[in-house]
Amino acid sequence: MAGSLSRGRRYVLLLLLLCGFGVVLFRLVTLQVLQAAELSAQADRQHQKTVSLEGARGRIVDRHGKILAMNVEVQSVFGVPNTVDSPLKTARQLSPILHVRTDELERKLRQDRRFVWLARKLDPEQGRRLDRLSLDGIGVVMEGRRFYPKGPLLAHVLGFSGMDGEGLEGVEHRYEPYLHGEKRMMVLQRDALGHTVFPKGMMERSPTPGHSLTLTIDEVIQYIVERELEDAVSRARAKSGTMIVLDPKTGAVLAMAVSPRFDPNAVSALSPDRWRNRALTDAYEPGSTMKAMMAAAAIEERVVSPNTMVFGEHGRMTVANTVIHDHERLGWISFAQVIQKSSNIGAAKTGMALGEHRLYRYLQAFGFGQRTEIDLPGEGVGLVRDPKDWGRRSVASISIGQEIGVTPLQMVSAVAAIANNGMLMKPYVVSEIRDADNHIIRQVPPQTKRRVISPETARSVTKILEGVVTDGTGTNAAIPGFRVAGKTGTAQKIDPRTGAYSASRFVASFAGYAPAGNPQLAMIVVIDEPLGDTQGGAVAAPVFSRVGEQVLSYLGVPSDAPITLAMASRQ
Amino acid sequence: MSQRSAGTLTLPWSTPSPKATKQVTFDHLLLIVTVTLALVGLVMVFSASAVVAGENKRFHDSWYFLKRQLAWLAFGLALLHVVSRIDYVWWKRLALPLLGLITVLLVLVLIPSVGVVVKGARRWLHLGPISIQPVEMVKLITVIYLAAYLAKKEDRIQSFRDGLMPAVAVVGLLSGLVLLEPDLGTIVVIGLVTAGMLFLGGARISHLFRLVPVALVAMAVLIWLSPYRWKRLLAFLDPEQDPTGSGFQIHQSLLAFGSGGLFGVGLGEGKQKLFFLPEAHTDFVLALMGEELGLVGTGVIILLFAVFAIRGFQIAARAQMPFGRYLGIGITLLIAAQAIINASVVTGLLPTKGLTLPFVSYGGSSLVMSLVGVGILLNISRDRQAGQEEMRQRSGRGGVRRQ
Repeated sequence: MAGSLSRGRRYVLLLLLLCGFGVVLFRLVTLQVLQAAELSAQADRQHQKTVSLEGARGRIVDRHGKILAMNVEVQSVFGVPNTVDSPLKTARQLSPILHVRTDELERKLRQDRRFVWLARKLDPEQGRRLDRLSLDGIGVVMEGRRFYPKGPLLAHVLGFSGMDGEGLEGVEHRYEPYLHGEKRMMVLQRDALGHTVFPKGMMERSPTPGHSLTLTIDEVIQYIVERELEDAVSRARAKSGTMIVLDPKTGAVLAMAVSPRFDPNAVSALSPDRWRNRALTDAYEPGSTMKAMMAAAAIEERVVSPNTMVFGEHGRMTVANTVIHDHERLGWISFAQVIQKSSNIGAAKTGMALGEHRLYRYLQAFGFGQRTEIDLPGEGVGLVRDPKDWGRRSVASISIGQEIGVTPLQMVSAVAAIANNGMLMKPYVVSEIRDADNHIIRQVPPQTKRRVISPETARSVTKILEGVVTDGTGTNAAIPGFRVAGKTGTAQKIDPRTGAYSASRFVASFAGYAPAGNPQLAMIVVIDEPLGDTQGGAVAAPVFSRVGEQVLSYLGVPSDAPITLAMASRQ
Repeated sequence: MSQRSAGTLTLPWSTPSPKATKQVTFDHLLLIVTVTLALVGLVMVFSASAVVAGENKRFHDSWYFLKRQLAWLAFGLALLHVVSRIDYVWWKRLALPLLGLITVLLVLVLIPSVGVVVKGARRWLHLGPISIQPVEMVKLITVIYLAAYLAKKEDRIQSFRDGLMPAVAVVGLLSGLVLLEPDLGTIVVIGLVTAGMLFLGGARISHLFRLVPVALVAMAVLIWLSPYRWKRLLAFLDPEQDPTGSGFQIHQSLLAFGSGGLFGVGLGEGKQKLFFLPEAHTDFVLALMGEELGLVGTGVIILLFAVFAIRGFQIAARAQMPFGRYLGIGITLLIAAQAIINASVVTGLLPTKGLTLPFVSYGGSSLVMSLVGVGILLNISRDRQAGQEEMRQRSGRGGVRRQ
């Protein structure tokens, strides 16, 4: 009897519980379906009282922690229209300070809204004048504004960020997910009387700032590079110039400059052309600098050795019904001299001996026709055609750096591969990412891409390239006290109107490394359309020399020839 | 007649439990429902507290609450596993010692230098690196005590003075201690579960009704004594009147449910949790779910709890010993009633109470004690005999009675 009683009561209890769940479920349906529209509208009105502000962006510093990009707190001005007594009067007072038209301010202040931005990210001086006014219904909130304390320094690499704080170019763009800070919210509340809505007692969530970046760039080296490049470009009355300095052992970019420069603190007036990072976006015909890679391929494949004798055809050779010229009428010369004197005929002959397939394989191995995968946006691939599209002259042309488009970055990494005993490294500009508490989030180790040539080949190519500087076309690149290896390049540009090589427009370049025995720097200088003297050896090589001298001394690199120096100092 | 048959029913647990019970596996469905609720809770706790934890300088780490809840869940599940392997008969023997222990803890927590005050209530006890809320243990221990009491006094429960009053007195004493903290929500749950268990144990309904006016008067006095409860009651009666004051929470909770609609605004997309919904990760987690996952999400949660209740009752009903039946139903009642009250509070059906949603809300003590309860239920679920075995036993028992 108790058993059945207990069972009956059990069912009663369970039924009560299920009724409870039923009631809750019914209530949920009421709230979430029947009253949903009304409640969500109410919630939306309430949410409009929150204003979102961007969080503080992370800093960008150079390899020694010197600040290149930072956030400063500046004032932004907003109005609370329904608390402004006289929109016209207020607008008139604000207009001269904010540099916004009176009628536009008045229109904003007459809107039926709780909150309206009037002007964002004021200059400090504007802020001070505004504070003195202390107007009713006008408020100020601090927002982060991006500031580049060094002005144009490294601007093409850094890029810049927009008004809403999003990175638009360069490192700022590429590392946006790390740099951007957490959005913060500002809540407008009622005051004690409950009728005005004014953000005097607003709650503000303290936002988490974005991560900061440490670059591989050295501010001092960058400064030297920019100064010398600007100087060279203006002296040569050239259209533009590009220079890159790599650490050949790691691929770390120590400096990267484009001339003319721009100031990332004031980009709005500039055309995109000015901030494009040509060092990696634009391809050019490299001309004779390409002979360095051709030489490396030919020696590695044992097609020639530095001492192999090559006949210079007395400065004139016909290939596929076209003529290849040399500056000098050369007879029998060694292959090393072919490179040192930059003989087109000797290089073309060697290239043809190498053959199109091997030549193409080495172009790819050196990284031409592919992105270097540097951590910067907008990188170009250059132009390397597939061998099946090559003409009869192509092998000869490519061997002397024609019929091929490369970016300055591709060329300098290829040269750096020879400097680095034949290992191609991936170039990079960001070495560390740290959070707001300075804890390391990510550390970027150097990345080896592949072995292009053997160390032995790299050594003999280096010897040849040293000859270019000691008694070849690149003597102006010499750095006192150091052995320098490198190659000049002077390429005719293709005239866009005629489609043929222009007689007056050139790209003068020099790519090389120093000290040759233990390379610390791999550098490229590219001067676009110099007037007057147009030779790479005359226009670009001196920049290489001046930058190299200052940077090696700044880095404290011991001289290659300590004995000579010691003797000199004794005298 | 009824008394005699009750006597024969006490027979099985006076002898050692049959070996057969060991071979019956635990109830999978109950465990699945429990773990599902806890996992949903984990997701919602993260969604709710990532904002709070990220903002607060002290916590700093937006994974703070998630990590802690995950640690508590792991600990709770380990405990559940252990408890599910402990023969539940032990709890009957432990009933009185546990009652003593909890009384000591409840007194300790009241001593100013030992108990820690959070938000006006003295509820926490720091034990080394962890803090516990004895209140969360009171509920389960009350259920264990009542189950043991009812199993022992089954034949006398119909007497008001000898059967009902001793149990009511003990529970009343515990409630009094809880009240000093003060924690009214827990008392309401304890009261409801006690009434339910006494009803199940065979107490006369007229006797139970006699207790109602006592409870009402006690409530009235308490409300009259503390102004904040009076305010809460007013706010409950008319939440629109002062949306920034006492009715704020409830009002914001309703807005959260409303803006979620049928399918919700999406996980992590809720706006109410930013400033408007206080305690979104603890007591109001259902409101957060309502906003982010919609009626679909909240409906599933309620249905899961209903399945839990039905399954809990089934498990309890199959138990061989009366103690097992009382204990099973008591634990099920405890968890289901608390879920219903929490859901009613956040949907504005009851005044604010400060009760968590079992398994789902953030909070270590609550989660662990609920999981321990489930562990006991799972052990009870092993104590049954399927099909013919059960029939044979029954006819066997009938034989004993006839002799």
